[in-house]
Amino acid sequence: MPTLPESAVAADASAKTRTLLADLWRRNRPVIEARLATLVLAAAADPLPSELQAEALDVAHKLSGSLGMFGFEAGTALARQIEELLEAADPDRARLAGLAKQLRAMLHPCS
Amino acid sequence: MLSRVRSVLIIDDEDDIREVAALSLEAVAGWTVFTASSGKEGILSASELQPDAIVMDVMMPGMDGPTTFKNMQQTPAIAHIPVILLTAKVQGVDQRRFADLGVAAVLFKPFDPLLLSHQIAAALGWPE
Repeated sequence: MPTLPESAVAADASAKTRTLLADLWRRNRPVIEARLATLVLAAAADPLPSELQAEALDVAHKLSGSLGMFGFEAGTALARQIEELLEAADPDRARLAGLAKQLRAMLHPCS
Repeated sequence: MLSRVRSVLIIDDEDDIREVAALSLEAVAGWTVFTASSGKEGILSASELQPDAIVMDVMMPGMDGPTTFKNMQQTPAIAHIPVILLTAKVQGVDQRRFADLGVAAVLFKPFDPLLLSHQIAAALGWPE
């Protein structure tokens, strides 16, 4: 039986991986939504409780480490900016709100 | 010559990272993948399963990646297994600190699912 050339095998594996990733992204949407909601909540809080700041920092770190895997490299960059902002003792809430809004818009292009 | 099927243990507390890494290594490289969601579970799994390599997150609740690695080094049954740390920290000082631990390599999150197996193979000198 003839075998597929290596390039065809690799292309097939890539296509399969992309399909599985798309499925995984859809399944993970509720988690992403919850993380975005935490960032929006933190941006709106005045004052920002330390527990919520720590939670938002954790969420931003997780988003910065995961969005790029699903093809959202710019989302990772935005989440990284949010993470850096939240590492400050008194984060700039207006800037945080703006970055969270940008991130939400990027992940919800039609909303 | 075909390279043999490798086995890799992924230790990460985040479900999505574990799932993407697992599907990537299985679908792209055809490796056998085991997963664990904490350092403690990872040590137990590594002892039982004896994977060819361990890929582990740095920031985990409870026992973090560096601490888990140190515990692994003190466990004779698994001290020989190469460990690769995964980190979302981009600052050079963090990278150097992790590399100085004596791990086989430090890779960065987010990783490209289509390239992860190649990065691991290159870091460990595995033929592809």
